[in-house]
Amino acid sequence: MKITVETNSGVFDFECGATDKLLYAGLTRGLTLPYECATGTCGTCRGRIMQGSAHIDWDQAPGFAELKRDKGDVLMCQARPSSNCVVRVPARVVARPECDTLPQHRTAYIDVLRKLTRDVIHFELALSHPMSFEAGQFVVLEAPEVKGARAYSMVNFGREVDRLVFVIKQKTGGAFSDWLFRNDVAGRTVNVFGPLGRATFHPEEGKNILCIAGGSGIAGMLSIIERAAREGYFRDHTGHVFFGVRTLEDGFYLSELCDYAAQAEGRLEVTLALSHEQAPAAVHPKFPHIRLMDGLVADAAQQAMSGRYDNMVGFVAGPPIMVDGALRILIREARLPPQFVRYDKFT
Amino acid sequence: MTWKRVCKVTDVPENTLKKFTVDDVTLVIANYGGGFRAIPPLCPHMEEPLEESGVIANCALTCTKHLWSWDLNSLDMLGETERPLRCYEVKLENGDILAFIDKEHVYEFEDEDDLADDDFFSKA
Repeated sequence: MKITVETNSGVFDFECGATDKLLYAGLTRGLTLPYECATGTCGTCRGRIMQGSAHIDWDQAPGFAELKRDKGDVLMCQARPSSNCVVRVPARVVARPECDTLPQHRTAYIDVLRKLTRDVIHFELALSHPMSFEAGQFVVLEAPEVKGARAYSMVNFGREVDRLVFVIKQKTGGAFSDWLFRNDVAGRTVNVFGPLGRATFHPEEGKNILCIAGGSGIAGMLSIIERAAREGYFRDHTGHVFFGVRTLEDGFYLSELCDYAAQAEGRLEVTLALSHEQAPAAVHPKFPHIRLMDGLVADAAQQAMSGRYDNMVGFVAGPPIMVDGALRILIREARLPPQFVRYDKFT
Repeated sequence: MTWKRVCKVTDVPENTLKKFTVDDVTLVIANYGGGFRAIPPLCPHMEEPLEESGVIANCALTCTKHLWSWDLNSLDMLGETERPLRCYEVKLENGDILAFIDKEHVYEFEDEDDLADDDFFSKA
């Protein structure tokens, strides 16, 4: 079906199949349609259907809260066209040229599953065809057996990679994570759409790196730190990682983070912030390059970083309330310009 | 005359935002160090309440929800911000902040008026 989007910066046409979503079809064609979560929660991808009609996948999506549905407003990440459509999108949109990082649909099978803590799983997907993506990007996953789509950041990055690495936390009532945790799902097929997200790391910016992550939000940070470490970035720049978990037992990927910190010879500081128990010591009993702090991760970062925000880019990922707190600190305390603050909110 | 007294200069410390209602018009006073701005209470992006979501640093107002940002001195849009900030004219008199309120500034968040508006596509 033919979709016409009328934007603040021009009119664009693209094809969208009945099984595809307006947002995904547009992004696949290189259009910079607005989005953040791409899975129905944030409301950023709103558009108004002026002509035609669309089927809405997740009718109760939280992102609809601010939309005027009686006037034809839709979340483009939830809308599958049932006819040709004209959609108004109140944003500046441009057409990116063809490149190897444009998002696409792929299939993949679950290849490796490894429990890291009581409620965190590391898993890997073997892709049907390779994907190129930046450190810090995410994809949307859908399993045929599970209703709805979920967004996950990759722990890895690279060009033409045939394997995506993820870490996910089990959530009460989280259908996808329950499916991964409860069933023997190795070998099962999932649909993958991506890469997505602009919370990416660009070494050429020459900035010191500050990462603030809650729980599985550490995934994208690991890819950023790995990229920086591989390029010897910490010879000339500093890095600061603040990783928030509830208790010491809930920490994961600590051995990797500890190794990166050791290699950086003091220019990469890694701090584990414990929100639900008091830190037993100033450094982790098993990982001597990981410092421990008490409290919420954004507060820990604020306390430890005061006066040390010189020439910095900030990355933030985690639950929305944690991200909102950290963004306030990066703007108000760190005084980072908004273009050097990059974030992902997971719900 | 439609100059209305909003508050005292000392009611809004430097680098803070505070919401006031004057004759049924709600507005936010922003103290950016170099002066004051009087603006509508919602972010023009996605209707976030700026008194809560807004942060002022380096003379810039940033809505911390999605990082839209404006220079409060020049009113330039910063970064990826796509809509200008509307302002009521402000003056200071005897320690008071006055705003020129002839009509309420309201952003059109995709309602009928906005879509009928000829400049819907020219705000880039």
